Amino acid sequence: MGARFLRRLGLVLLALAGLLLAGCATGRLDATKPIGQEARDIDGLMRLSGWMAVGVGIFVAAAVVTIIVKFRAKPTDDPDDLPPQIHGNRKAELTWTLIPTAMLVFLTIVTLPTVFALADEGDGRTIKVEGQQWWWQFSYDLDEDGSYDIVTANDLVIPTGEEVNLEIHSNDVIHSFWIPQLNGKKDAVPGRIHQWRISSDEPGIFYGECVEFCGLSHANMQMRTIVLTPAEFDRWVQEQLDGQVAAQAAPAPESPEAAGAALFETHCISCHVVDGTYESAAGGNANLLAGIAPNLTNLMSRTAFAGALYETYQIGPDGEYLRNPDGSLRLNVAELREWVRNAADMKPARADNQQGMLDFSEVLTDQELDNLMEYLKTLGSPPVLP
Amino acid sequence: MAIITDQPEREAPGTELEVADGTSDHDDTPRTGVFARPTHATGWREWLFTVDHKKIGIMYGALALFWFLIGGLEIGLVRLQLWAPDGEVISADFYNQLFTMHGVTMVFLVIMPLANAFANYLVPLQIGARDVAFPRMNALGLWIFFFGGIFLNLSWFLGGGADGGWFAYAPNTGMTFSPGHGMDFYALGLQIAGIASLLGAINLLVTIINMRCPGMSLLRMPVFTWMILVVQFLLVFALPVITVALVLLTFDRTFESNFFDVAAGADPLLWQHLFWIFGHPEVYILILPAFGIVSETLPVFSRKPLFGYPIVVLSGAAIGFMGWGVWAHHMFTSGMGPVSVAAFSATTMFIAVPTGVKILNWIATMWAGKVRFTVPMMFSVSLVAMFTIGGLSGVMHAIAPADTQQTDTYFIVAHFHYVLVGGALMGMFAGLYYWWPKAFGYHLNDRLGRWHFWLMLLGFNVTFGPMHIVGLQGMARRHSVYGEFDGFEFWNKIATIGYFFMLIAMVILAVNIFRTWGRYRRGVEPQAEADPWDGRTLEWAIPSPVPEHNFDYVPVVTEVDDFWHKKYQPDETGKLRRIAHGNDIAQKGDQHPHLPSPSYWPIVLAMGLPLIGFGLIYNLWIAGIGLLLLVGSMFGWTLEPATDPDAGHGHGHGGHGDHDDDHGGGPDGHDDHNGVLAASTANGEAAGD
Repeated sequence: MGARFLRRLGLVLLALAGLLLAGCATGRLDATKPIGQEARDIDGLMRLSGWMAVGVGIFVAAAVVTIIVKFRAKPTDDPDDLPPQIHGNRKAELTWTLIPTAMLVFLTIVTLPTVFALADEGDGRTIKVEGQQWWWQFSYDLDEDGSYDIVTANDLVIPTGEEVNLEIHSNDVIHSFWIPQLNGKKDAVPGRIHQWRISSDEPGIFYGECVEFCGLSHANMQMRTIVLTPAEFDRWVQEQLDGQVAAQAAPAPESPEAAGAALFETHCISCHVVDGTYESAAGGNANLLAGIAPNLTNLMSRTAFAGALYETYQIGPDGEYLRNPDGSLRLNVAELREWVRNAADMKPARADNQQGMLDFSEVLTDQELDNLMEYLKTLGSPPVLP
Repeated sequence: MAIITDQPEREAPGTELEVADGTSDHDDTPRTGVFARPTHATGWREWLFTVDHKKIGIMYGALALFWFLIGGLEIGLVRLQLWAPDGEVISADFYNQLFTMHGVTMVFLVIMPLANAFANYLVPLQIGARDVAFPRMNALGLWIFFFGGIFLNLSWFLGGGADGGWFAYAPNTGMTFSPGHGMDFYALGLQIAGIASLLGAINLLVTIINMRCPGMSLLRMPVFTWMILVVQFLLVFALPVITVALVLLTFDRTFESNFFDVAAGADPLLWQHLFWIFGHPEVYILILPAFGIVSETLPVFSRKPLFGYPIVVLSGAAIGFMGWGVWAHHMFTSGMGPVSVAAFSATTMFIAVPTGVKILNWIATMWAGKVRFTVPMMFSVSLVAMFTIGGLSGVMHAIAPADTQQTDTYFIVAHFHYVLVGGALMGMFAGLYYWWPKAFGYHLNDRLGRWHFWLMLLGFNVTFGPMHIVGLQGMARRHSVYGEFDGFEFWNKIATIGYFFMLIAMVILAVNIFRTWGRYRRGVEPQAEADPWDGRTLEWAIPSPVPEHNFDYVPVVTEVDDFWHKKYQPDETGKLRRIAHGNDIAQKGDQHPHLPSPSYWPIVLAMGLPLIGFGLIYNLWIAGIGLLLLVGSMFGWTLEPATDPDAGHGHGHGGHGDHDDDHGGGPDGHDDHNGVLAASTANGEAAGD
C-alpha cells in the first residue's frame, strides 16, 4: 500500500517537473528576471522567502505523506483498541511556536532595510508620470524651470546608469505603474503624488502595464520603458525638441499633409495637442473625464500607440522590428489608420461617457483618413531604439 | 390542534410523533394576539416560516451551494476567455462584471453562508441547547440573506452586474466612472447581506455565551464552536466598517455627496482603508470556520484527542485579534509611507505564527494515530496540506518589497485561492460529508464522495498551481486579455483545463446529493446511526437526523469531548478501553418539549429591504413601500402572540398533550417570549458547574 502510494507520488512529481520545464518560456513582464537595481533587491527577498517557504512546505508535505502512509488505520485493527492518547506536549508546542517566530523575525530583519531603501529618492532626473484611462503620459522638465519641455505617451525614455525619480500622478481613477524588470508597483492615486524610482545599467526595452483595476480597458493600459545610453538619450531629447520645431512648419499647400492638417484642426485639437501648433486642448479638456489626450507632437518617435496596445512600427513573429530595404522601420499604417477611424473597435472604450476616443468612422471619408495619416506621419522622427 | 405527520424522509426512528391523540379543535382556538402565528409543519410553508435553527442552517447551505454554482459558472466564462491570448469569447465590460460578481458571490454568498449553515445547525447541538437564543431573528437573518443575494444578482438582468471589482476602489466606482447600476446593486446588496450577517452574529454570540449546557465551560467547548465564536466577534466589529464604507458609496452615487470625489478634496485611500479594515478580518471570517471543522474531524478520524486543545483555541483567538492589525498589507503599493509599510509588513508576518501552530497541532493530532481515510477525513487532510501552501505564499507577500512585485498578479490569485478553496472550501466539504448523516439521516455515497474529492483536489491544483508561475512571470489580475508575447498562454490553458475538473467534481457532488436523497426516500439507503464516526462532541449523542427539539434532556458535561469519554474509560491498567457504543448511549429523541413557534414576520420583514434598495436606485416611492413593509412587519412581529394558538405547544409535534416533567433539567417552563428560547434557563444552569 505504502510503496505503491510512494511510487505513484513519484510519477506525479516527475510529470509536474516536466510540465514546469515546458512552461518556462517566459515573456516580457517577468518579475523573476530583474534588470534594475531596485528589482534585483526585491528579487533577492523573493527568492529568499520563496526557498524558505518551499522548505517549510516540503516539511509539512512530508509529515502529511508520512501520516497517510504510516498511520493509516488497518482493517486488522481492533476497533476497540485506541492509539496512544496524547493530549499535547508543552515542549513540542513551544518549539514549533518559537521556530517559526525566529524564522519570521529573521525575514522581518532582512525586509525592513529594503522597505526604507526603496522609498529613498534617487540621484537622477525627475520625470512626471500621469496615468489616465487608459494610457500613460510622461513629461520631462529638462531645464528644471517648472514647465515641461517634452510631453510624450506610452514610451518612458530614460538613460542608463541613472536613478530616475518618477513623480506619479493620476488624472482620474487609481492606476498602478509597473515595469516588472525595473521595480515593483506604485499606485497612481488622484489627488496624490507618489515618488518612485527606477534605474537600469542595461539599455533595452522593458515592458509594463497598469496593474490596479481602472475600469473598462484596464487590460489595455500598457507602457514601456526604453533605456538608452546617455549619448543616445541625449539624441532622443534633441529629436524631441527638433520635432516640436518641425511640427510648426506649415505643410506645402495643396498637399495631402496640408489637407490632413486641416482635418486635424477640425476634428482632433479639441482633445489632442501638437506643441506650438495646436494648443487649444493644452489646459485640459472638458470633453474628457481625464482632461487630456495624448500629446501628438512626436507621434512617430513612439514605438507604440493606443495605450501601447499597438506597435507604431511593424514587428515580426518573434517581436523583432521589420525594416524596409533602406533600413528604415515600417510604419504600421493599417492599424494606425483603423485606430483613427474607430478607436473603440481596437480597444474597449466608452466615448459616450467621455472615456476614450470618439468614433470617426461615420465622420471621415477614406480619402480624409488617408490625408490625416499623411499629416500624422510628419509628426516627429522615428524612435531611437536601444 | 393540527394533526401533523412529518415528512417521511425527515422522520427518524425514535421520533415517532404522537399523531393520534391530537385534538382537532384548532379552528376554535381563541387567538391570543392581533396576528396569529403559522402552524404549518409540513411542506414548503414549514420551511418558509420556520424558526428551527436546523432548518435555517440547511437553507443557508442550500442557498450557498446554489450561489456556488452561479459563481463557478461566472468564472468559467473568464477561464474560457483566458484560454488563448487576445481572447474574444466575451467583451471587456462583461469580463469585468464577471470577475467582480465572482468575487462578491464567492465571498458573501457562498463561503460566509456556508459557514453560517454549519454554525446554525451545529452550534446549538455542540453546546447542548435546544435552539439559538433568538429563533425568529435567526429566520430573519436567513431571509434577508436570501433577498440580498437575489437583489445583488438581479443586476445581471437590469443593465449588467457590478464592474468595479469586489474591492470597489473609489473613485472608479463612482457615478462618473461607473455610470451603470451595477455598483448600486453591489453597494446596496452588500448592505442588505451585511444586516443578515450581523443578525446572525449577534444571535450566535448570545447563544454561545448564554446557552451552553451545564458544565460546558468555555474551555470545554468544541473547537468548531470556539472558532464560530471568534468569527462572530469579528463579524460584529468588521461589518459596521464595511457598512459605513458602503453607505458613503451609496450616498455618493445616489445623492451626489462628495465622500470620494477627488475634485472636492477627497482622498480615495479612505475607501481602501475602510474596505480592508473590514476586508482583512473578513479573510479570517472565511477561514476560521473551516479550521473549526477540521479540528473536529481530524481527532475523530485519527482516534486521538486534538493535540494541544488550549493552544489550538488560543491561536484561533489570537488570529482573531491579530487579524485587525494587518489590513494595510493590501495597500503596500498605495503610497503609504515606509514606516506604515514596515509596520504592516511586520504584523502580517507574525500572524503566520498562530496559523502555523494550528497546522503543526493538526499534524501532531494525526501523528501516531489510527487514521481512517473516510471522505470527510480526506478533505480535512487536504485542507492541512493545501492551506499550508496558501499560508506560505502569504508570508511571501508579507515582505512588502516582494509584494510590490506580486500584488495584483496571478501569484496573489493563486495565494488566496489556496487559502479559500484549498482551505475554507475543503474544510466545508469535509464538514458536509461529516455532518450529512447527522442532518439528513443517511450518508452521502462514499464512492461518489471519493470521486468528488480526487477530482476536486486535482482540478484545484491544476487550476491554481500554475497561477503561481504566471503570476511571477508578470500576468496581472483583472486583465480581460493578455498579449501573445507575454508567454502566459501555456499555463492559462492548463488552468482552464483544471477548472473543468473542478466543475465535474461539483457535478458529482450534486449527483451524490440528489441520487442518495432519492435512494434514501425509497428506503434503499440505510438509516444513519446516531454516532456513525465514533464522534467526540454532543451532536453525536442524539439521533440522526436530529429531532426537532435536539435534546430530550439537556446534557451535563464534565470535560472536553465529554461524549467520547462516556464511551471510553481507563481499565485497571490505566489504558483506555471502550465501555459503550455511541449509538447505544445516545439520546432517543422521544421527548416533546416546548419549542418556539414558526412566524410569518421574518420573511415578510426581510422583503422590505430589497424594495428599499430598488427604491434608492430607481424611484424613492418604491423605497417608501419597502419602508412601510419593514415598519409594518416590525409591528406585526411585536404584536405576534408568543406562541401559536396551540397554547404553548411546539409546532411539528402536533397533539401531544403530555406535560410531563421528564425534560431532564432541560429548558422547562420557558414560554418563548419574543423568541428568546430558554436563554435564562440554560444560562443559569451552565453557570452552576
